[in-house]
Amino acid sequence: MLRSSVALTILVSLLPLAALVFLGVESIGTDWRVLLSDETWRDSLFTTFYVVSVSTVLSLILGTWFARTVVKKGWHLTSTILKIPMFVPHIAAAYLFWLLFSGSGGIGWIEANERNYATVILTYIWKETPFVFLMMLGTYEQLNRSYVETAKTLQLSPLDQFKHGELPFLIKPLLDSTWILVAFISFAYEVPALLGVTYPKLLGVLAYERLSTGLYLEATEPYAVALVWTCLVGIGVFTTYFFTASVRRRIERGVRR
Amino acid sequence: MKKWRILLATCMLAFVAACGNEEQVEFSDSFEAATESAKGSTVNLYMWGGDEGINSYIDDYVAPRLEESYEVELNRVAMDTAEFIRQLSLDQKADREVGTIDVVWINGDNFRNAKEAKLLRDGLMERIPNAKLLNETAQQSDAGTPTDDLELAWGNVQFILHYDAAKVDDPPESFEELRRWTEDNPGRFTYPEVTDFTGNAFVRHLLYERYGDELDKNATIEESFWDDLKVWSPNLWKEGQTYPKTLEQLDQLYASGDVWMTMGFNERRAEAEVKEGIFPKETRALVLDHSIASTHFLAIPFNAPNPDGALVLIQELLSPEAQLVKQGPDYWGDGTSLDLTKLDERDQQAFEELGDGVTYPDPEQLLERSIPDYGPDVIDTVREEWPRVAK
Repeated sequence: MLRSSVALTILVSLLPLAALVFLGVESIGTDWRVLLSDETWRDSLFTTFYVVSVSTVLSLILGTWFARTVVKKGWHLTSTILKIPMFVPHIAAAYLFWLLFSGSGGIGWIEANERNYATVILTYIWKETPFVFLMMLGTYEQLNRSYVETAKTLQLSPLDQFKHGELPFLIKPLLDSTWILVAFISFAYEVPALLGVTYPKLLGVLAYERLSTGLYLEATEPYAVALVWTCLVGIGVFTTYFFTASVRRRIERGVRR
Repeated sequence: MKKWRILLATCMLAFVAACGNEEQVEFSDSFEAATESAKGSTVNLYMWGGDEGINSYIDDYVAPRLEESYEVELNRVAMDTAEFIRQLSLDQKADREVGTIDVVWINGDNFRNAKEAKLLRDGLMERIPNAKLLNETAQQSDAGTPTDDLELAWGNVQFILHYDAAKVDDPPESFEELRRWTEDNPGRFTYPEVTDFTGNAFVRHLLYERYGDELDKNATIEESFWDDLKVWSPNLWKEGQTYPKTLEQLDQLYASGDVWMTMGFNERRAEAEVKEGIFPKETRALVLDHSIASTHFLAIPFNAPNPDGALVLIQELLSPEAQLVKQGPDYWGDGTSLDLTKLDERDQQAFEELGDGVTYPDPEQLLERSIPDYGPDVIDTVREEWPRVAK
């Protein structure tokens, strides 16, 4: 029993390491100065950053709010319905939004294949909100209401009630969801390929394009970009978990000092 | 996702490599010996699988014939070309001398990569009897890269536009007129991004209009060419803010009536789409000033597990009968790569009797305006410099 768990742990922790080594080896020969001053990659990086942060933040807020409301009001049917988009594959979701918002179907500023990437963000929100909802649902169901009650008795404002009575318990699932979403959205292909624009492209689309055209067997830049992005995400994960470690530990122990 | 698949493949290959290497399987000495040794075997054909007509040509027409005449079973594997070229390259890095792919359908960038990395077997001409029937011009070069006997021409097509005659009363007859037409009909025309095979070819047609074959000697394109394209873009679909990513997306825009013209290699490609009701009923061909001829090919990877089976399959695919059915309207409509003057009279007549579809261009006019493709340098330059138009 112990041995298999050790083996599994080693395997799971080795895989990302192997991925990093792979990316490092493949990106050998990249001229970093040229890469960093390449406008196409840079614009792509900024656009990706914008799409990822907007979709992630909005999905987190919506998902948490839904979970909170559903648990508070005991809406079981809503809870089931909210999970439905999770079962739609991303490519199908992208196509659905493309049908809704392209050609004559577009409404105002929300139109497919526009530089504001609104439909890409919408697709991700529609797909990821249920995921966040599911992550937060468990937390809210087990949430000890007495902290909120105490806050109420102390006549704190609703915002302060949330801040002191709920937020500390949400930190861990919120962090988990955030990084899963960031890692997933940032290098995904299908949705931005269908709903995105020619310039600037999101990182995943641009990387795939560079890996399938020209003398692609010799291409190293896409791997270098993936390596940089992986490190950025890695640093993000490390710092956020590091700085919330003490709070999270306190919550897990259930002791408030 | 892509990188994970590659990673997984690498791990698996590393594992296979660690298990010890097998020797490369060689061709038999003659074609007769190859047919003998291929009997009862399976041959794996890896090809892009995005077109129903093409798939059913292979599965419903070629496979039964191969089984009947050579007792060889055909296994078609649908995969993006760049992906199996990458797999071959990984095989090579891992010294995997016996792979899984026997025959590949290949051309353009993918061939350049495969050739550069030495992933293909040479000497196909002398091993496959039907290769003698090939059109020599088509066989010579693959989008400007010399074939060097590493691949054999499978089909030969030309670039044309198609338009919806129900909406376009007065179709343009030259690229210049096309430009003026888009001024009168803004938003009704566009072309795929230049990373797409077809989109890049469209821009090369515009280059040919300005430079002729001069660019072959010196692949520098003047600023003013790109400025003109940039000036043109507001008259295109979505005001040139974005372009269809692939030809498939352009076809979809055309099918839904958002744009009124589409384009592509293969002058017969619209026929089946119209019959199936995907393209508008009134779709007609449009040949402008000139049209690039493009050839696509068959090749055998260095680590083909069944090279004799591969020879047999290519022999079959290059037979006049199989080429005739391929060009006909039933499955694909892909132009033959054979030189008709080398065929016997009966076969020649059969090709002539194939007849016309309503969406076909005038064959004589098309042949007259046919131009050879530029080399890979021009293709690369277009890919590097065009993005400023889309910015």
